[in-house]
Amino acid sequence: MKPKETDWNQLFSIIEKHKHEKWGLIPLLQDIQESFGYIPPDSIEPVAQALNMFPSQVQGVITFYAGFTLKPRGKYVIRCCRGTACHVKGSRSILRLMKKELGLEEGETSEDYQFTLETVACLGACFLAPTMMVNRDYFGKLSPTKVNSVLSQYKKSEKC
Amino acid sequence: METIALIIDNKKISCPPGTSILEAAQQNGIKIPTLCYHPDLKPFGACRLCLVEDENTGRLMASCVTPVAPNMSIRTDSPDIKRHRRNIVRLMMAEHPESCIVCNKGNRCQLRAIAAQLGIGETKLYSMPNYKPLEQANEFIVRDLSKCILCGKCIRADHELVVVGAIDYNHRGFISRPATVHEQPLEKSNCIFCGTCVSLCPTGALSPKTEYYVGTPERESRSVCGFCGVGCSVTMGVVGDQIAEVSPSHVRTSVNGSTLCVRGHFPHEFLKAERLTQPLLRKDGEPAPASWEESLEIVSTRILDIRKQYGPQSVAFIGSSECNNEEAYLFQKIARVLVETNNVDNPRAAYTQAVLRRIDEKTNGRCRKNPLARLENGDAVFILNADPGEMNTVASFYLKRGSRKGVSLVMANPVRTELTAFSSAFLEIRPQSEFELIKGIGALLYEEQATENGCASPEMQQRSLFSDTDLDKVCQAAGVNMDSLKQAANVLRGKKVSVVTGDEIMLAENGAETVNALLELMAMTQSLGKEDTGFYVLAKACNETGAYDMGLLPDALPGRQLLSDDSARKHWEDTWKVRLSPDQGLSAVRMIEEAEKGNLKALYILRENPFEILPDPDRVRKALENLDFMVVQDIFPGELTEMADVVLPGAAFFEKGGSFTNMEGRIQVFEPVVSPPGEARQDWEILGHLTAKLGHSEPYDSVEKIKQEIARVIPMYSEDGRTYGDWIR
Repeated sequence: MKPKETDWNQLFSIIEKHKHEKWGLIPLLQDIQESFGYIPPDSIEPVAQALNMFPSQVQGVITFYAGFTLKPRGKYVIRCCRGTACHVKGSRSILRLMKKELGLEEGETSEDYQFTLETVACLGACFLAPTMMVNRDYFGKLSPTKVNSVLSQYKKSEKC
Repeated sequence: METIALIIDNKKISCPPGTSILEAAQQNGIKIPTLCYHPDLKPFGACRLCLVEDENTGRLMASCVTPVAPNMSIRTDSPDIKRHRRNIVRLMMAEHPESCIVCNKGNRCQLRAIAAQLGIGETKLYSMPNYKPLEQANEFIVRDLSKCILCGKCIRADHELVVVGAIDYNHRGFISRPATVHEQPLEKSNCIFCGTCVSLCPTGALSPKTEYYVGTPERESRSVCGFCGVGCSVTMGVVGDQIAEVSPSHVRTSVNGSTLCVRGHFPHEFLKAERLTQPLLRKDGEPAPASWEESLEIVSTRILDIRKQYGPQSVAFIGSSECNNEEAYLFQKIARVLVETNNVDNPRAAYTQAVLRRIDEKTNGRCRKNPLARLENGDAVFILNADPGEMNTVASFYLKRGSRKGVSLVMANPVRTELTAFSSAFLEIRPQSEFELIKGIGALLYEEQATENGCASPEMQQRSLFSDTDLDKVCQAAGVNMDSLKQAANVLRGKKVSVVTGDEIMLAENGAETVNALLELMAMTQSLGKEDTGFYVLAKACNETGAYDMGLLPDALPGRQLLSDDSARKHWEDTWKVRLSPDQGLSAVRMIEEAEKGNLKALYILRENPFEILPDPDRVRKALENLDFMVVQDIFPGELTEMADVVLPGAAFFEKGGSFTNMEGRIQVFEPVVSPPGEARQDWEILGHLTAKLGHSEPYDSVEKIKQEIARVIPMYSEDGRTYGDWIR
């Protein structure tokens, strides 16, 4: 399953919305990322033109922030926390387990664009360490069994 | 004026508010090491080498981005600061590859210089070279980003000075590097290869691509670039007798400052091509090497013979707008004084010079000096049928920078160019409809003024050119719609307008009227002859203005005086102590026609290629074959030199001394950087010897002597009656 073709009309309506905002670049990019799941590289030029910037500057901002990505991502973005508290609580093993279960390395996306595995420095929920996120949902106090059940839940939800 | 008093290194200093600590220190002779700072770029604070300490608070701050504040007490070199600086440089070095031996930057590497200055030998850190692939597929720039120290000079030069935006920082932290859009190689980006970043790079991360590794140049000399009419100041690095590298001279008062274009920066390798190194004489139908003495003897005797036999009208001289002023003056003097003919021309710049002449006539010479800086700081610029980006790239940088600063650009061009994106209004006009278009814009602005004043003042009614214009007709003729025409007029309304145009406006039948209309437009907006506006005519060759000033024309005398003007002619007759014919000489085209008819017997061609310049090369070839005697003075062998009876090898622009007058009207003096190859000589020297052979009593034995004569006889070229130099400082 390949990611959808970029919907140009949608892209241009997002650009139009933020065009006249002051400091509009980052909200605009966030909006695009939200709508498309990633920032299509082809959108760099129209965005730059609308904001009277150089395309290279727009790309500079996109690549600077970990929150923006120029590559299509899976339907479920799985983030494994590698912060200090989680590390102490064994997040290294958790990550290893995730890699094995998903068959992905860090930063990779599965071929069917279902899963993307990422690590983050801290999810800000240290009291739940070790933690992970799937899209916007938190899962804390992980154990290998819990990780397996979380992942299989999403894998299953895909099948039906 | 308000000043701020502070102490730097126990020295009391006062400076205006807003000055950075670094600038204040530099102005007072206190040195602070820097890597990312450059006076032409906005301070950035990237390298942190310029750290200083405020003794009152103990705070460390980057002096390039910290403005002075009252009662600061700054230390620039306390042991603490030195320790910090050393650590910063050590970290940079730990990331740097150890390729100094083969690095072109060699001893000019600023990282190396600063490491030495701070006494760092071994870094004693775990080395972590950040290897990046070497990019050298393009023709001009080698990018080795493993040597990049992230000072951001290339990025800022790209954004602020040349306004192209090909690169910016990508990513973050250790992997951060300047990159193009989609991380393509430079040749696939919108990079224009001006090389400005290369000359600013403090390390070897960016270097010019050369055929052979030559290392650090042995010496560097300043010169003026001869590849277009802007006349950029350049610094040429020499190895042996070869130019190894060209970079902008980074002199703030020069035309280009820190910028340069692809033509100026890179093509010096052309010199390694085959050159003429020896005078050639046609003997038994074949060109054979000869001595200078013999060659010049033949040139002078043959020319004098032909003149004696067929009269002065049978001899003609084609010069070039690439000759420097001294050569141009001497060349036309040979024609007018020693051969007594007005058959002298420089066909390459004919149209540009026609525009200049028109402007001169209409404004009585008040529009001769047009500093390009006004384009950047003015109100509005009207670009008419010209592509500065292509023709005079450095001038286009001024326009683009101006546009970013808020100068309104109105562009009327048959095609879209790079500058279209920077224009507030763009009119895609039909070719050769410039006159109609200006009338339209003029009429719209005129109406406004007329209604504002209640009725048109008598002074305005005189400007009949715009007073009754049929706008619908204008739109039809120019192929633009009424809305965009009105938009263009709106942009220009109430602003002082500079004009940028090229020689193409003269291609239309009513070209001269177009120039008049442009001047009218400027006059109506009160922009003519003002301090902050100018009338810019793009110049392809390096000395188009100078060739006109020196009278390298069949109908003009030096100092932009007309041959038909009796008093001017009298003046030059007195100066040169000869009789001048009031009849206009032959233009280059007419020379060819006369040669066809057999009326023209001898032709002397100096640094010009009639096949390239004149239409119908076959016809030109036949006409030239019809000549009795042809002399070609040039630097490269070619079709023309093969046809010549005598070939005199001259020098390229950086192999000789002299001066160019650029498109601004700035007279720039330069000295030779290297000597001409083989027996080739500087062109003024050849012409000087020839004047002696042709019977001129006073020898021209130095370029200084010609300069002095020019300064004496052409008032425009004398600053204090003795010499001339840059008029913009």
